[in-house]
Formats: sequence, structure tokens, C-alpha cells
Amino acid sequence: MLRDRPFATYVLAVFVILSLNFILPRLMPGDPLLAIYGEEALLAMSPELKEELVRRFSLDRPLSAQFLAYLAALFRGDLGHSYYFNAPVSRVLLGFLPWTLLLTGLALCLCAALGVVLGIESGARRGRPQDAVLLSAALFLGGFPDFFAGTLLLLFFGVTLGVAPLAGALTPYAGKAGLSLVLDVLHHLTLPLLTLVVVRVGPFYLLTRNTMVTTLGEAFILTARAKGCPDRTVRYRHAGRHSLLPVVTAAGLQYAHLITGALFVEMVFSYPGMGTLLYRALLTRDYPLIQGILLTAALAVLTVNFLLELVYVKVDPRVVRAR
Amino acid sequence: MLEIRNLWVSYGGLPVLRDVSLTLARGESLAVVGESGAGKTTLGLSILGLVEGECRGEIIWRGKNLLALSEEELRRLRGREIAMVFQNVETALHPLYAVCDQVAEAMVVHGLGKGEAADRALALLERVGLRPDRARAYPHQLSGGEKQRALLALALANDPEVLVLDEPTASLDPRTKGEIVGLLLEMVRDRITLVITHDLAAAARLAGQMAVLYAGRLVEAGPAADLMRDPRHPYTRGLLRAYPHLATTKDLQGIPGRMEHGVEGCPFHPRCTQRLEACAVRAPSPVPAGGRTLACHRGGIVPLLEVRGIAKSFGAFRLLRGVNLTLYEGETLALVGESGSGKTTLARIVMGLTAADEGEILLEGQKVEKRTPEFYARVQMVFQQPGESLSHRLNVLQAVKEPLDVQQRGTEEERLSVVKRVLAEVELPCDDGFLKKYPHQLSGGEVQRVAIARALVLEPKLLIADEPTAALDASVQAKVLKLLLDLQEKRGLAILFITHDLAVARKVSDRVAVMLEGRIVEEGPTWEVMASPAHPLTRSLLTWAGPQLPPAWARRGSWPAHEEFSGPGRPSAGAVSSR
Repeated sequence: MLRDRPFATYVLAVFVILSLNFILPRLMPGDPLLAIYGEEALLAMSPELKEELVRRFSLDRPLSAQFLAYLAALFRGDLGHSYYFNAPVSRVLLGFLPWTLLLTGLALCLCAALGVVLGIESGARRGRPQDAVLLSAALFLGGFPDFFAGTLLLLFFGVTLGVAPLAGALTPYAGKAGLSLVLDVLHHLTLPLLTLVVVRVGPFYLLTRNTMVTTLGEAFILTARAKGCPDRTVRYRHAGRHSLLPVVTAAGLQYAHLITGALFVEMVFSYPGMGTLLYRALLTRDYPLIQGILLTAALAVLTVNFLLELVYVKVDPRVVRAR
Repeated sequence: MLEIRNLWVSYGGLPVLRDVSLTLARGESLAVVGESGAGKTTLGLSILGLVEGECRGEIIWRGKNLLALSEEELRRLRGREIAMVFQNVETALHPLYAVCDQVAEAMVVHGLGKGEAADRALALLERVGLRPDRARAYPHQLSGGEKQRALLALALANDPEVLVLDEPTASLDPRTKGEIVGLLLEMVRDRITLVITHDLAAAARLAGQMAVLYAGRLVEAGPAADLMRDPRHPYTRGLLRAYPHLATTKDLQGIPGRMEHGVEGCPFHPRCTQRLEACAVRAPSPVPAGGRTLACHRGGIVPLLEVRGIAKSFGAFRLLRGVNLTLYEGETLALVGESGSGKTTLARIVMGLTAADEGEILLEGQKVEKRTPEFYARVQMVFQQPGESLSHRLNVLQAVKEPLDVQQRGTEEERLSVVKRVLAEVELPCDDGFLKKYPHQLSGGEVQRVAIARALVLEPKLLIADEPTAALDASVQAKVLKLLLDLQEKRGLAILFITHDLAVARKVSDRVAVMLEGRIVEEGPTWEVMASPAHPLTRSLLTWAGPQLPPAWARRGSWPAHEEFSGPGRPSAGAVSSR
């Protein structure tokens, strides 16, 4: 039944994630406040503040009421208070999230596009030298850890050649605007993006290539060729389009990996995204912030998957009727 | 005109098509039939230049050799001048595009504007029987028949001159099949059509010409109706014997062994029952033979026994008045007629037990002058009265072994093992106790089977069976008849089956000859004679032969409306009791 209504599945998934986020700190031994804020923060806390927090989390009320209060707070956009930044978690997140979304979103699009095109061309040349070279390259690069590839690129382009900035997402205090701002952002984005694409394009490429090899053996490909379709049309319009289907599904799964990769890559390039933020939060044990980051990442993966599901319906006409 | 000259196609060095030559004229439809794996589809694909393997030879179309064209030149021809409808209706359409778009694409890739192509595609789909709402559907929303129509529209999109249809009616139900065949007949007019199929009925309806392909070689080609009625190559006959149609009378028979590629010599020789040593050495080339093309070292199925103008009188009574009969290798000819019509006498004349007044007997083309032991090694007879045909002084072992003794075949032990094997074949015990029994100790059925075993022990090519099962009860008769047909399938045993029981003749014979007062009055393929007897005697024999089919079954007409199917019918016993 759930399979019939993808939307319901997602609502359920969000609910489960929210519940886990709520229940985990409360399942930990000891004081929930200790679990949420950590030992040091709690020690430094004044009794008034402590009282205030107990009230805020409804810790003096039953678990069900606590859960409702938690949901209500979330609904208001209240993810708690980050004491490292001394600001609401949600506001902190909003400052960092766009950069990560930009990085991972672009990386996903580029990985998919590049992986599909390379996969189609490679699959169509199965067994020939170009295919063998691409295949080996994909397997070789895919074995690199993100941070290692990032470090190599940073050393080569940033340090040796000096053509790329070493850190950040913008040139600070340059007061740029308009097109020059966009170019500046892209300039800073290039290396982290390149790192992610180089390391993460492998799965897209491999999946497309292998599907392509199977698809090219299908009867409808012979039909297309017998119609007199030029090679390119057969390759892209007929085989390629068909090979796209599993890639769309896989893209959702890959996005989770991309976010994980982005956390490391951002640190390598000191890119002001969620990765950098998470690193800082971990070092300072800013638990509300960590929870907020994880929740946001989970929701981002879910959202992308949901969007891809909508795309899939457009790509494969058979799905609509299956409902 | 499309001409295929000495086409060889091989995949990875293994030839799949060997030296195939065919000519197709405009308005002509040729069916290529054969078992799966015979290379039929490869032949179709090679015309479109879509074969993955290496091709040799020539395919001449409009003065150009298609095999020598570049990929781009071929692409321009594909779909525009030469189109193909593929088998596998379920997967031949792209699952992600609407059917009308797929048809339109076939025109767009050959230069038509998108808008016009879309309009024409809808019109074309309507012509093949898909209304616009069905035409705009995706393949998964269509039935098998509708997909077949869509595929046909796809092939017809550019009004091609050459149409290759690969299994166009496979996996369709009879009604859809009938409709599709009708549609195809209408669409293929004025085109050059190549129909690839293993469905002989579809082939016969769709094509005027037929070519039989075996392991990549053409074995027989000619007018479809002639090939179906009178196959000349042993393989064609094998195909027809294995293929049931509603008028089939003889039990279905297979072809021994299985098809193998890369056989030296004639590709069919390992399965052929009339092979010679030459067949294994060199492949026969297709030669014209009486209006068709035949590739067989023996010139097709050989006439094993020819009876020419045999006449016999007893005093003033003319029992046989010039009988002509031909019995081919591996077939059963049923000789039917009333008692006293001369059937048994004819058999005795063939066996040399009675001398004929006139006429001659030919065995494998050689006139039989003297009945030598070699003659009897090839021709054996089972007599009408088994009790009298076996000597009461010989026990079972002696009776069955005697022919081997006479022919001096093998050692004593070998003879004994042959006897035991043959006795087992006719489902008789072969323990010592039974071997020592004398005819009077056996039942009528056992005696008859001993007589059959005696006749088969020399492995003859021709068996004359005079009412061989008249003395047996039905279940034993069924087994003995099956055994004979089995030997026919395996060894190519030819049987002259003399009987007055048409129900039996119908199940065992390929052809039937009806005898009246010393003459053959009707002769033809059994199913034809049974379905439409020409001579009054045949009709009477059929009338009195046994229970008849209700005449309503034979009525034919168009496919009835579905309301007619909603009647009560004949409910099963279970359905009745549950009411």
C-alpha cells in the first residue's frame, strides 16, 4: 500500500527521523539535558538557565507532551540554541546550508550528467579501447577517498599552480556584486566541486554503462536501427533514455554519499558549508547544533529522493499507470 | 527484384548461413521456414545489413550489392526501402515512447517534418486498426495483437518496397492471428515480402513461395502449396509430419536427433534415414527439380518400391488389372479396399510368392528380377494369419532367429541378443521360458507380435504388413502401431499397410490408395482423402468405418461474435454437480 503512495512513504520517513532525533538523547543514560548539551555546558549553566531549559523541553511533563512540544518547536523552526555561536541553531544552519546545497546540488547534477554521457558512450563501445580506458579510470578514481583527492587537487591547482583559491566560498570584504560575485563564487566552488565530481562520478558512469550494455541487446534497439535511425539517435534517444531509469533511482541513493563526501571536502577547502560547521560543532561539542545538522542532512537527502521520484514518473510512463 | 547470391554469414567463424541463394520478384511473397536456430532470422537481418557477424556473397537490390554498402548508405535504405517487423512483439517496441511517436520517428529519420510525420503516423496506425486513442498509448498499455499492428505500421511507415516479417503471427491467439494475417495480406501486395516463420500454416497463407532452411542451408524451395502437399526433401517431410493442423490424421512424428551446425557434407545427413556415404562427404548444391529447388544427393525422398502395371488372372478371373503404386522411403502407404479386391495378392506378388502375369516391380529404382537373400534383407512381410505364418515346429527363438540364420548374420550369441532386443521392442518377454514356447502355447496377440518381430529382425527398409493388427485387441494394436511408426521415425521404415479398417489406416498412413476390383480407384494424402473422398467406394468405406464426427464440427465460417460464445456450451462434470 505504501508503494502505491510514494508521498505517504516520505511523510512516514520524516516522522521516523524526527522521532529518532527526539528519542535518542532521551534514551541515553542520565539527564536528557546532559545528553543534549553535554557535560561541560551543563556545568557552566546557571540554575535559572537550567530551569528555563527544563521548561523549554517540557522535561517536567510526560514523554508524550514532551514529544508534542518538540514537534511544535520544530514547526516554529526552533532547533534549539547553539551556545558556541550563541544563536539559534536554525539561524546558524541557514548561514551554512546554502553553500552545501550549492556544492552538493551542482555535484549531483554534474555527476549524473557526466556519468550518463560517459556511460552511454562507453557502453556503446563495449570492449573497445576507449571503453577500457574509461572503465579503468572510473574504478581507479572511485577508489580515492574524497579528502585525499581534494588535498591533491588543492596542492596542485591551489599551491603549485596558484590558479585556485585555497579556502572559503567568497573573497572576503571584496564588496563584489552582480556578475563578478557569481564568478567569484564559481571560482571558489571549482576545486571542491571538481573533487566531488571526480570521486563520485564513478557509480553513475558504471551504472549507466552496464545498463547500456544490456539495453543495446534489447529487441527495441534492433527495431530502432531497422527504422534507419542514425547511430547517435539509437545511442541516446533509444538506448540512453532507457538506461537513464536506474540512474535516476540511484541518484537519490548517491546523494546521501555525496553529502558525506561534501563534509570532508568542505573541510579540506575550508568551504563554509555544513561540513565545516559539523566539524566545528563536533570540536566544541555543540550538541544542539550537531543534531540540527544531522536532521537537516537527513531531510535534504529525503527531499532530493522525493524530487527524483517525481522526475522518475516523468521519465518512465509505465510508473504512472502502475498506481 | 531482390537477389541473394551465395550468402554466407558466420558469427565468430561459425557459419550460420551457408551458400544461400534466393530470388524475390516484386509482388512475390516468400516464406522461409525451418526449426529455430536454422538461420532464418539471420537471413532477414542480413538483408537489412543488421547482422553482427561476417557476411560473404551478394545481396543485390536495385543493382547495388547491399553487403558492400557503407553503414550510412545502409541506414538510408533501412526503414525506407527495406523494412522489417521483428519477432518478440513484447519487447520490439520502445517501452518509453508512445506508439505513434515511434511510428512518426521512422519517418522523421528519413527527412519528413515532425508535424506531418505525426499526422501520417496516426493515419497509418488507424489503417492497421489502431484508433488514435490506442495509437497514443504506450506499448505496455497495448495487447499483443495491438503491438503487432503497431510494429507493422512502424515497418510500413515509409512505404518500403521490401518487407521482412519475422514470425509475424507467433504467440497470437487464433482470432488475432487470423486478423493479422488478413491485414498482412492486404499490406504486402506489390511489395517484395520475406516471411520468416516456423508456423507452416501462416507461411502457407502468407506466401506463395516457400524455402526450407536447415542448419543454414537451403534444402528445398518452391511454390508453397506444392511443398506442403508433396514435400520432396526428407527434412521438409519431417517438418510437416511434426506440424499438426486440424486435418492431420497420422500420429505426429518428430525427426530423429537434433539440428547441429557445422556438419560436414549435407547438414541433414545425421538425421536422414536415406543417407548414403556421399552425403557425409560433400554438401549437395540446390538444383532445379520439377518446378522447385532441391538440395539432396538422392534427389529428394527416394521411391523405395515401384509397382508398375501389375496384372494377374486366375483362369478367366482378372484379379489385378494393371496396378501402379509408388511407396517412398520412410512413409506409410495404406492400401485399403474390400476383401477380394486383390490387396493380398498384390503383396504376395511384391514378395515374389506369386508370379505376376504382367508388369514389373522396382526396388530403389532397380528392377527386381530374382528374389535374392539381399532382397529379403530389405523387404519383409507380416502375414494376415499369424498362426499359420509361423511354423508350429519352431519355438519363439527359432522362429525369430531363422531369418538371421538364413542371412548368416553374426555369431550365435549376436543373433540371440538381436532376437531378444527385437522381442523387447514388440513388448514380448525375452526370458528363456518364453523363448522356448511354441506357437500353440501363445495367445493370438503374442503370436502376431512374434511374427512382427520375425519380420523386423533383419531391419528391413520396407515392411509389407497385411492386416498386421487385425487379430490384436485394441490396446496391443495401439502399441504395435506406435512401434511401427517409431521405427519409421528412427530408421525410415517404409510400410505398405494393407487393411480394410480405415480408422487404423487414418492414424498410421501418409498416403492412402483405395483398391476396387483389381484397380487403384483413388490415391492421395490421407488427410485429403479422409476429408474429401472422391470415389464412391471411399465414401462408403468411410461411412462404415466407425463412429463419425458430428457434421457440425466440420462447418466453417467467419469468427462468430462474442455473444455466441456465451451459450451454455458443455459444462464439465464438476460444474454440473456444483449447481
